[in-house]
Order: sequence, then structure tokens, then C-alpha cells
Amino acid sequence: MTALFGTPDIAIGMKGSVSRVRLFDGPLDLSWRHCATTSDFIADLFALRFQSSRNDYMEVRHSIGYLVNELIENAVKFRAPGEIVVEASMDSECFKLKVSNDVDGEIASEFQSLLADITVGDPKDLLIQRIEANAANPDVGSSGLGLLTLMSDYGARLAWIFSPADENDRICLETYASIPISPTHN
Amino acid sequence: MEIKTDDYRVWTEGSDIFFDGAMRLASSEAGAPITALATSVLASNPASITLNLKDLHFLNSSGINLLAKFTIEVRKHPDVRLVVRGTPDIPWQSKSLPNLKKLHPALVLLMN
Repeated sequence: MTALFGTPDIAIGMKGSVSRVRLFDGPLDLSWRHCATTSDFIADLFALRFQSSRNDYMEVRHSIGYLVNELIENAVKFRAPGEIVVEASMDSECFKLKVSNDVDGEIASEFQSLLADITVGDPKDLLIQRIEANAANPDVGSSGLGLLTLMSDYGARLAWIFSPADENDRICLETYASIPISPTHN
Repeated sequence: MEIKTDDYRVWTEGSDIFFDGAMRLASSEAGAPITALATSVLASNPASITLNLKDLHFLNSSGINLLAKFTIEVRKHPDVRLVVRGTPDIPWQSKSLPNLKKLHPALVLLMN
């Protein structure tokens, strides 16, 4: 069965030209450092067109880098063994990202229950509430703070699709994200 | 006191805590040495603590959570003034540091 969380209209696939990076598990021995190198690479690539304004370039490069880094970090941290596919595209208004990887069934259930909590309400309020809850009781865990930071501080719209994977008890997770790109200095 | 890795450095000068580089913590456990350093400054009961972030170019959400938790710790000591120095030139700082003031309204946030 397929389940969707978050903003449905951004989870309709990537339109136009898409850049795709496939992180293979075996030869790369996927590790934490790949999150930084991959997100920096994608941010560099997509911010290039803003080079005429230093402020725009810094802002766009950082926002894309932050978004991609957080979502690849989540994929590296929670994935079942296997590859991670990162797809990105940009139009005049927003940068769009899709990260695909498999997760174990148990991880998928826990993540779905977290998403049910953090996708309903104002992300700015939810972020502060969750930080307070986490500080008061470390057992609550810090899961979700990265996603809430993206929604609250970067205006990111996020969606997740869970569908059965080829292998038993594995779920294919697609994470979709969109952030506004609005040049302010010309 | 100093914590140094290939990517970032954290050190104290009196009750000022300086951060430099790009910090991408893999978990809150990975930030434990930094929390310990900051907690030891708080334990010395200074009149004020300054977090100087002006050279911290990147901080992932685990790191932001670390700063948030420390802010909440300092909030429990009303006699300790907390100053956070950032710069509007580094986008994550102008986007996310105002959240610390929401957690602790008496915090002094200097963005210049």
C-alpha cells in the first residue's frame, strides 16, 4: 500500500530537466562525509546561474546546500543497505529535490508516526515545541528537528511517499522537497 | 579548552566560546564533547557567556539542536547573561539564530 505525507502537490514527479546523482552503496561505502560532498556539489551546480550577484549566490547556494545535506543525511542515517538516488531541478521560482532510498518496515512505521506529528500545524511553533520537549526529555529524541528547521526557517515544502519495495519487508521511500528561490539583489 | 577536527574548531577564552569552520554532527552524541565544554563554562558561574559563531559557516540541524539545548540550560540560570554573536553574511545564522531568542527571550542576539 502506498502512503503519502506532507504537501501532495509537490509529490507529482520532477518536471523539465533533472540532474541525477546516484550514490552506490558498495563501491562508495556510503558514509557521513558523502552528505557534505554531494550537497556542496549540487549547491555549487545550481547556484552558478546566480553568480552575477554575490548576495543571491551566497543565499541560494546555502539554502540548496542546507536542504540537500539534511535530506541526504536522513537517507544515509535511516536507509536499508542500498543506493540513494538524488534528483534535482530548478525553475525561476523554486529548487526541487527528490531523494529515494529503501528503508526497513519498522523504520518506515516509526517515521510515518513522526511525520503525522510534524506535518500538522505551523512548523515554526512545532519546531520550538519539539526543541523544548527534546531538552526536557532526551528520550524523545531529536528526530524531526531537521525537517522542521527546513520547513520553518527555509520555507521548504516537503512530501513523502512510502510504497512497497521489491524486497520483502522493505519500503521504498521518496522524499520530495521544494524551496523558493527568489533573487532579491540585482 | 579546545575541540579540533578537520572541519571545525571550538574553543574557550574565559567565558567566551568560539566556533569556527563547518560543523556537520552525525548525531547529538557526536556533539557531546562540545556540550561538555559549554556546560563546563556554565558551571563556572560566569556573569555572562558569549557564543561567538561569526566564523561558523555551516551548522546542520544536529548542531542547531545542540545550541538550542544549551540555550535552554542557560535559561535555568537567570543570573547568567547569554550573548550570541552571529553575522548576517552567513545565511543559516540569520535564518535559524532568532529561534534561540524564542527559547530564551533574555538572550542577547548580536548580528553584525
